[in-house]
Amino acid sequence: MTYTSLSQEAKSGLSVVVFVLAVLGAFVYVGKVVTDVSGGGMATASTEGVSPEAGEAIYFGKGKCSTCHSVGEHGSAIRGPNHGVYGKFTEPMGQRAEERARERAAKTGQPHSATDYLVESLVDPGAYVVSGYKNEMPLVYLPPISLSSDEFKAVIMFLQSLGGEVDEKAINLPDKVLAAASQEAAAPWTPYLEGDAETGMELFYDEESNAGCSRCHTVEGKGGDVGPDLTTVAATRTPQYIVESILIPSAVIASGFEPYLVETSDGQYLTGVLKEQNDAGIVLKDANAKLLKIPAADIKDVAPQETSIMPGGFAEDLNVQQLHDVLAYVLTLTGEPPPAEAGEEGGDEAAAEPVAEEGAE
Amino acid sequence: MRLINIISRLFRIAGTSLPGSRVLPLALLALLAGAGCVFGAEPAAAPEYRTFFGLDPRTAVWIVAELHLLFGAFVLGVPMFAVIIEIVGVITKEERYDRLAKDFTRLLSASFATTAALGGLLTFMLFSLYPKLMGFLMGAFGKGFYIYALFFFAETFTLYFYYYSWERTKNKKGIHITAGVMLNVVGIIILLIANSWATYMMSPTGINPETMKFEGTTWEAIYNPLWNPVNLHRVLGNLVFGGLVAGTYAAIKFLVSDNDEDRAHYDWMGYVGNFIAMSSLILLPFAGYYLGREVYSYSPVMGNNMMGGAFSWTFIIQAIGIGGLLILGNFYLWLGMDRIPGAERYQTYIKFVLFILVISFMIWLTPHNLPLSSEEQVRMGGQYHPTLKYFGLMPAKNAVINFMILSTFFSFLLYRRANVADAVSVRAQGNMARGIVLVPTLMIGGFILYYGLWLLTVDPAVLDLDASKAGYFLLPGLALLGQVGFIALAVVLTFKEKGRLGQGLLFGYTAINTVFILGIYGFVVMAEASPLLRNLAVAQWISLLSCIIVNSAIDIVIFRGAKSLGKLKWGRMPAISQYVLILLSIWAVLTMGIMGFIRSGLRENWHIYGVLEDTSEWAFTPTNAYAAKVIGLCALIFFVLVFIAFWLAEMGEKKKPAKPAKPAASGGG
Repeated sequence: MTYTSLSQEAKSGLSVVVFVLAVLGAFVYVGKVVTDVSGGGMATASTEGVSPEAGEAIYFGKGKCSTCHSVGEHGSAIRGPNHGVYGKFTEPMGQRAEERARERAAKTGQPHSATDYLVESLVDPGAYVVSGYKNEMPLVYLPPISLSSDEFKAVIMFLQSLGGEVDEKAINLPDKVLAAASQEAAAPWTPYLEGDAETGMELFYDEESNAGCSRCHTVEGKGGDVGPDLTTVAATRTPQYIVESILIPSAVIASGFEPYLVETSDGQYLTGVLKEQNDAGIVLKDANAKLLKIPAADIKDVAPQETSIMPGGFAEDLNVQQLHDVLAYVLTLTGEPPPAEAGEEGGDEAAAEPVAEEGAE
Repeated sequence: MRLINIISRLFRIAGTSLPGSRVLPLALLALLAGAGCVFGAEPAAAPEYRTFFGLDPRTAVWIVAELHLLFGAFVLGVPMFAVIIEIVGVITKEERYDRLAKDFTRLLSASFATTAALGGLLTFMLFSLYPKLMGFLMGAFGKGFYIYALFFFAETFTLYFYYYSWERTKNKKGIHITAGVMLNVVGIIILLIANSWATYMMSPTGINPETMKFEGTTWEAIYNPLWNPVNLHRVLGNLVFGGLVAGTYAAIKFLVSDNDEDRAHYDWMGYVGNFIAMSSLILLPFAGYYLGREVYSYSPVMGNNMMGGAFSWTFIIQAIGIGGLLILGNFYLWLGMDRIPGAERYQTYIKFVLFILVISFMIWLTPHNLPLSSEEQVRMGGQYHPTLKYFGLMPAKNAVINFMILSTFFSFLLYRRANVADAVSVRAQGNMARGIVLVPTLMIGGFILYYGLWLLTVDPAVLDLDASKAGYFLLPGLALLGQVGFIALAVVLTFKEKGRLGQGLLFGYTAINTVFILGIYGFVVMAEASPLLRNLAVAQWISLLSCIIVNSAIDIVIFRGAKSLGKLKWGRMPAISQYVLILLSIWAVLTMGIMGFIRSGLRENWHIYGVLEDTSEWAFTPTNAYAAKVIGLCALIFFVLVFIAFWLAEMGEKKKPAKPAKPAASGGG
């Protein structure tokens, strides 16, 4: 039976079916395009450690601070005051906190430090509301955000670092924050799925697979050197951090692997990790491990970038089981040999030197 | 089994021999059995999660719940549509409306059974895959689940009574319409009960913060902060959906028809479906704004996640859906003007409306955060485009959606008056005509006056603003008083037989006021007195609403019984118009899917937001790509099932499309 032999009724019906399928196909395609352009990193992950860097990751991640606040040009939220220098805010948050603390101390006659002000702004946001904004900030140490005490401190340190003095010891958390945090800390982190480390290793080293981590990362000398060496990553990083680094590579970029954009005088744009910079010019290493040497005379502009050169989209490219398999393998990378192997080689002598890479694998 | 038979017998006694008579009891038993399991279960012994034949339980529940919701929307939306049409038939004394209403009610039977079957499946799945969650909900809603099941019985009986009594009550329309209204009342109650569970998961109440246990009453759980906003949105949405699916049915029948008479009938049927859908769609953004605002009020975290967080890009897809519905609805109206003698007088306006719609749609879609490569950022001079960045902000969105709705309403008025010659005298129509204009005008005008005066006199501290910000309240307050003035002027002009001039002036002021004055002022407010922005949006919405209400009332009166310029040529529509009708309903299904994904996804890793955490391996937000695949699949399954349901409904019927007794003679349908 051919199309021309069909009745008019059947032809019309067939056209409707094709039309419906085409529209649904277009919709699925739009969903894919939107995910590609906006990044697929919607999975939740957290960062551990008490430092301004960890605080920044929480600010733009789990803490959801960035859904209301921006830091200068970083971020686009406007519902809460900008924490950087932007518009009517001529001082960054760290400096503003010092000023407000002085005002408070003068008014009450009680000592009040900048850090006290920052802690208060998270514990009791309504105590001081910036003119023009609504008193509606949620308590971040309670559900649904539920920051732990370390995470809370890290955010304060990040805010301190915005023009103020970073001082962890100055942070005194009220009892209610500590009490809420102790409830939240009850359950240790466990992976959602039990991953198979052997399968994960295969995915890691199979450069044709959707993971293909070894294209850019080295483990015990095997693999590419575009990204950080992962030989001891599990000994120096938490599982949550590793998950985040896989799913949201730009959340925290490893020290020494920050990407730079160079605009050349003939209008080209070159991106890569900065390997060398001196009077003669710049050397970048691009995502294919190719070294790009750009003479100083050809350079029009150089700008650090916030997007890691590590490709995103692993949340889409790997299924949940594959992600956990790769994770299971990476979590074995402590620099220690496996137990049987350790026995053969004489134990702890085989332990590799810890590598001080910062993540963003 | 015996219980099933008893219930089935009850159905047979009620006179039904349709598929639903066996499926529905099973579905209800599923609900009752599921509830019983949880009441009788030992919570400590039960697992928190199970998989669905080894598959991802979350996606399985997602698909079944969405299909249930789509069918539910259809079986609740179509009766609203049917009763409205039946009432129109009684008022206009045109029998074709009555037959159309009956035709659609016939389609409900098989769909109702499918809805019930999907509901039963969903119940089984929820109780077996998420026992801990369902245990919590049972604790909060208690025996409300049983009441829900009882209302399903009431829905079944009223539906079958409404359908099967059609001929017997032919001369007792009051009784029949009352039955139809009762059917809708019961249907809406069912919807409200189900909404209370879904919204409770987003905005739980009655929780002891120390123990995180529910200690409130069932009513507290039902009357949670998001219950009414979702109720309003879904009731209006169902009406839109009912009209669009009816339109699609008509469009397919039109395309496969082999004679002009059938095409004329189905063209008219499609027009009526689209008319009802568009009338409700115009109001839907108001309900959407109300819902969004209440989500934000309940939890700024959830609100920000929706607009500026994980779902900001999903919102862009949703915006395409909403804008697309409005543009397609307009397009269908314009195509329809070709069959109306006299419409050529208004063709020239269409290009202007199209221009406004396209520009507004582009701004509506503009994201605040453009996904740019490093090179593009360098070329643009930063993360944000110097001009486009403003289009991504809320004041711009509020302005253009107002403009799109106003343009759609303008298109509709053109369509409405296309077939009539001149306006008729209001004075000659007596007090009735004055009443039709005055009653709605006084209601909406009074509310605007009240809100305008409130803005002019309120203490800024109410919005957490200090006294120095009082000046920012002045302009919106005065703009609303101006709106009241123009409403009054339009009414006075109407009574002086210059209704069209009054309509034009009110249109003009509303456009300038809502789109340009308050729209642009929104940027100032956002920077200097951000909490006032929400009140500014309300001022825009009510101004627009007043324009729609007052101008509609004036239009009804000044063209009541006006002379027709010729017979409408029903059936003389290009095939593309029917594809537009089909596209409208596909678009609506996909937009509903996206909205549902956002609404549910806002809870993130919480079953009950902030109270009961999702500790399963599926406690992450899927990507938009994944969501689009699932929603697309649900839409495909839905259309296949609807096709089967319609086919089954027609199997027992002889081919007897209800012919229009007379081709319509008026533009309004």
